Amino acid sequence: MSRPDIRQPASAPDCELDLAAQLALVARGDHRAFELVYGELAGPVYGVVRQVLRDPAQSEEVAQEVLLEIWRTASRFDPARGSGAAWALTIAHRRAVDRVRSETASSRREQKAAEPQPAEDDVAEVVEATLEHQRVRRCMSGLTEPQRESIKLAYYSGYSYPQVARLLGVALGTVKTRIRDGLIRMRDCMEVTW
Amino acid sequence: MKVIRDDLHVLTGSYVLDAISEAEREEFERHLQNCPTCDAEVRGLRETAARFALACAVTPPARMEQQVLAATYRTRQLPPLPAGRPRRERRVHAVRVLHLPRRVAVLAAAASVAAAVALGITQLSAQHQLDHARDTAIARVVTAPDARVEAVRTSAGGNVTVVTSAALREAVVSTSGMASLPSSRVYQVWVMSPSGARSAGLMHGSSLLASSVRPGDRIGITVEPAGGTSKPTTTPIAVLPV
Repeated sequence: MSRPDIRQPASAPDCELDLAAQLALVARGDHRAFELVYGELAGPVYGVVRQVLRDPAQSEEVAQEVLLEIWRTASRFDPARGSGAAWALTIAHRRAVDRVRSETASSRREQKAAEPQPAEDDVAEVVEATLEHQRVRRCMSGLTEPQRESIKLAYYSGYSYPQVARLLGVALGTVKTRIRDGLIRMRDCMEVTW
Repeated sequence: MKVIRDDLHVLTGSYVLDAISEAEREEFERHLQNCPTCDAEVRGLRETAARFALACAVTPPARMEQQVLAATYRTRQLPPLPAGRPRRERRVHAVRVLHLPRRVAVLAAAASVAAAVALGITQLSAQHQLDHARDTAIARVVTAPDARVEAVRTSAGGNVTVVTSAALREAVVSTSGMASLPSSRVYQVWVMSPSGARSAGLMHGSSLLASSVRPGDRIGITVEPAGGTSKPTTTPIAVLPV
């Protein structure tokens, strides 16, 4: 099937405008618009689900569910409340985390997490070397080690903050604060303007 | 009171990273309704978190695209929320159809109205619902592992979508938003090959099954006199590959 190649960095403002516009069309049942949305979001959706779930087959299944969810709930996307990418990738991350929590014996995962962690880009497939990737890396390196560790365990491994607290042997309040402060620092570093 | 609020406010980060329990999530979302500062912070941090995902994009297996696109044809969309109602994050349940064993998926789709809904044939009459064999056949095509989807806007408005399974040699043709025709005219569907066009039937509902389609064939739609014709007499308003 032919589909115009729209591989600009997803942070480009015009690209995001485009995504929001396409999502509005998807909400009205436009299958062609959905193909464009798929082209834009399938990579990050699959990527983030892989990060959290690791298992390729399961990740593919969950990524499909997420993309279908985007189709199903496009009418609930409100451009006044954020970018299309943020809306969609929130669904993706949450779905992956829900899957992990619903099925794994958390004790085993925590044990595994205590072992040396692969870097967040060590998934089997090569993570697309995007500008975004460089930027996140650079900003991550500006965090304190405890902030970085807490954010990675929460976002990329899908742990809850109480699990992160147990893994790192610190108080709950400490973890909550680290995650928030770290994220705020990331936000400021990346100057989030879409 | 102040202490509790501060404590909740600190949760913005953990909330955005989905690092809180279901119960806390619900509590925090209630809090967000009454805390514009927290809400603004959540929105900003959510954009940041989205960039973590963008930064780890991985090209998914190629087969995924066709599977997802085909699934959209059997997945009903949520209507927009009534205007003015406050939006709340709601957990929505997964639509899990794709990884069922194929036979089960077909049966499931046929047994429920899922197949009908899937193709946008929600306004099926009772008569159509009686046509169980046809619905089963349609479900079989749209759930086929090799289902391919083509869609196009017709030159007379409206959209036509064709889902084809090469293995089954069948195609489901569905339309939406088509202009209604006078009673003296009908939309007729054709399977077009180098040897000519043969009728696949008249478009009465909003979808139709075309059998014996081969790779290289095309699906065409024309406007014909009521009752249909044996050969197209007008220029097709849409032509799609199968």
